[in-house]
Amino acid sequence: MIKGNTKANRTAKWLVSGPPLLFLLVFFVAPSLIMLFTSLRLPGEFGGLAPIAAPAEAVHGEYGLTLETYQFFFSDILYAEIFLKSFAVAAASTLICLIMAYPLALLIARSEKRFRNLMVLLVVLPFASNFLIRIYAWMIILGPESVFSHFINAFLGAFGIAPVTLLFSPFAVLVGMVYVHLPFMVLPLYTNLEKHDPALLDAAQDLGANAWQRFWRVTWPLSLPGVFSGAALVFIPVLGMFAVPDILGGTGDILIGNLIKDQFLGTRDWPFGSTLSIMLTLAVLAITGLAAWFARPATIAER
Amino acid sequence: MRRSNIWLWSAAALAYAFLYIPLIIVVVYSFNDSKLNAEWVGFTLSWYVALFNNQEMLTAARNSLTIAVSASFCATILGTMAGLAIHRYKLKFLPVLVFTPVAMPEILLGVALLLFFLQVLNLTLGMISIIIAHTTFCIGFVAIIVRARLQGMDESIFEAARDLGASPWQTFRLITLPLIMPAVVAGALMSFTLSIDDFVITFFTKGVGEPILPIQIYTMIKVAVTPEVNAISTLLMLLTLTMIIIAAKLDSGVLRREAK
Amino acid sequence: MNPPGRSTALLALLLSVLLLAGCSSQEQNATTSGENVLHLFNWNNYIAPATVKRFEQSCNCRLSQDYYADNEEMLAKLAAGASGYDLIVPTGNAMDTLIRQGVLKQLDKSLLPNLKNINPAYLNSAFDPGNKYSVPYAYTLTLLGFNQEKVKELGLPTDTWAIIFEPKYLEKIKGRVTVLDSQRELMAAALKYLGYSVNDADEQHWQQARDLILRAKPYWAAFSNTSYVKELAVGNLWVAHGYSNDMFQAALDARKTGRKFGIGYSTPKEGAVLALDSIVLHQSGTRPDLAHQFINFMLAGKNSAELTNLTGAGNPNMDAIQFIQPEIADNKAIFPDRELLARLEMLQDFDRKQRRLLSRLWTEIKLRNL
Repeated sequence: MIKGNTKANRTAKWLVSGPPLLFLLVFFVAPSLIMLFTSLRLPGEFGGLAPIAAPAEAVHGEYGLTLETYQFFFSDILYAEIFLKSFAVAAASTLICLIMAYPLALLIARSEKRFRNLMVLLVVLPFASNFLIRIYAWMIILGPESVFSHFINAFLGAFGIAPVTLLFSPFAVLVGMVYVHLPFMVLPLYTNLEKHDPALLDAAQDLGANAWQRFWRVTWPLSLPGVFSGAALVFIPVLGMFAVPDILGGTGDILIGNLIKDQFLGTRDWPFGSTLSIMLTLAVLAITGLAAWFARPATIAER
Repeated sequence: MRRSNIWLWSAAALAYAFLYIPLIIVVVYSFNDSKLNAEWVGFTLSWYVALFNNQEMLTAARNSLTIAVSASFCATILGTMAGLAIHRYKLKFLPVLVFTPVAMPEILLGVALLLFFLQVLNLTLGMISIIIAHTTFCIGFVAIIVRARLQGMDESIFEAARDLGASPWQTFRLITLPLIMPAVVAGALMSFTLSIDDFVITFFTKGVGEPILPIQIYTMIKVAVTPEVNAISTLLMLLTLTMIIIAAKLDSGVLRREAK
Repeated sequence: MNPPGRSTALLALLLSVLLLAGCSSQEQNATTSGENVLHLFNWNNYIAPATVKRFEQSCNCRLSQDYYADNEEMLAKLAAGASGYDLIVPTGNAMDTLIRQGVLKQLDKSLLPNLKNINPAYLNSAFDPGNKYSVPYAYTLTLLGFNQEKVKELGLPTDTWAIIFEPKYLEKIKGRVTVLDSQRELMAAALKYLGYSVNDADEQHWQQARDLILRAKPYWAAFSNTSYVKELAVGNLWVAHGYSNDMFQAALDARKTGRKFGIGYSTPKEGAVLALDSIVLHQSGTRPDLAHQFINFMLAGKNSAELTNLTGAGNPNMDAIQFIQPEIADNKAIFPDRELLARLEMLQDFDRKQRRLLSRLWTEIKLRNL
């Protein structure tokens, strides 16, 4: 009986985990390997890929498999710069998201239980509108003839500062990035803050801690896991984003995402596009590793 | 205590305003009687009329709906399985496979799938390729939700069922599935929303001839922004809003029962 | 049994939605497969809706259109396996690539009696000698569009690329200028301004052009391929580097919305890019019969003229001139005279090494500041 049961269990295990495993092997692992493979090839004369030549047919030592794109990547500091810039934008977006999301998440977590779901829903609801529409909305708001622009420039003018253009600027890109990703920061923070035991804060108050101390010594350290997962949920997508700079950015606002997109839909250089994608993957892995490492002391604090 | 509450409230109010004002503007301008989204001219419904006469837009909406429904259907089944498997069995490989597509920048999956479809499958890009692509990234979201639900549950129920001689299938059908159903439904709705909203991966895996909503909107934004864009987004918001309200209504019953 | 009842109801609801959507999509497939459909891969706004309607009536078929905003984009999409198009409307250099790739079908000229309408000056281009594959469709010039009031007020020259490259002019219009977000077009303008050919592949000349662009970049509001049309018409932009037909559109929009200013456009004296768009048959098309019918239809003067009247695209069709509104036919920026024509150049495709280098230069232009 017991033996039969374990056998049935093993079958069940495969029945349950098999289909998703197979699907992801075919449609996630294989494509990723193909991408790696593509980065080692030569672009075709008209786009796409050059055929892989047999050694005898190779022209000028080009066998169809090469590290050329990687050499090209490292031949110019330009590509390192663009990665750094994307990191900077992602870091800034994450920080702004955190600053905006924290009070909101804290308020929701401390509200009466019956209001919480509604308040969370109100954070998620803007997601009911299309991603592009959310970016587009800022095109209207930041446009040079918009009420907001006039207001800002009148304000700056009062201090004798020359008027600024808001749309098509790094500022617009940041606003767009923050706007699109803000809920990703609120939700993990809220999930974390909601679990906090209010008794801890009461205890701190009894021990004479003021509001700031209660926050900084109790709430904040306890919320670090939420902060880290929120930060990862914002940082990583921003790193690869091309639509926001594409729509809101100005003359200098190009990020890795735009560069990758360009290789596939502009320059017709698939191998180099793949190389850039591999580099981005490595960067993301490094970030994830780093975040996990940073999150470690947080778990100690939680204990 | 009170003063900190005021600060908290005003900061939160600002955040809510930041979230909603842009959308309100989009909705308001969808009724603006001017082709250019710059100043208020007068009230009109003509952009909605134009929208309903725009055959391409309607086809795009239908295509996107078909994709979202198919992808969320596949992703819900596969994702529920994955969530169960990850929770129940100590697997090493599957969690990595399931959660990585969620954590990766979308563009990477888009690029990888584009190359894969063209080089290996020699597939003509179209609805099928988009459905597959969307399923791939939605599986992870469903699995996360289902697993979170399972983690919060008392293991002893399953043990009791097993002790009473229920086969794994019976345990699943009679105990597990009803218990995780809210998570499954939430996962399905989430996949639906993610799919209909997805731009980046669709952008890379789309074919030709079949207009897809996000791509259509992107073209309109980049090329000729008319308030038709505002009109379609207002309608989209309404649709998703309705779905969320229905889900909340149905789900609140489930939640209340649970609270007892 | 009651507890799971609710969730079961929800699942049932979801399933029924799924099934419904599934059915409707099947239905749609059934109708489209029996239909006569001609697939056209065209530039944005490059055919008059009225023309489309008349053609659909005459052929008893449906014209399905997909659009691109840039030749590179079109080529990239084709390279990425886009297929199913009967007809494409590439510009010369892109057509050259397509011909050399061997992805075009030869024309059957016996089906195109209206071919006689085309001005011989636009036939026999270097890209397709003998017009085995292509029929000239329309052309555009890459030039300068401007807000007439502002330019006059600030005393700026409008007949030279200097206005988008020279800081002494740009200072006055900072943040009110856009240039095309196209590697080839912007480089072409810079190369022309420096006195080189638009197809110059000399790396040193490229670097000079890059430096020129980087020096001017801080004054530009954005790289824009399309949105400048609207922004010019609204008055947010004062000068834009763009296509003649887009400038035509902007001028029209400004007039229609009753703006206090007009939008003018002119071809810089240093020369510019002429883009002759031709209509070609892609090998992935399934309806060569309808395709030829469409080409011949578009070669009729009246239909061809409609395109020019609507979009302001230049017209190589001699029979069309009589149907074109006089103020368009007399516009030198749309119908260049012989002297100007001599200073216009068509872009030629670069090879893959040059493309990669140009792409790096472009990245540098986007990322760096001087």
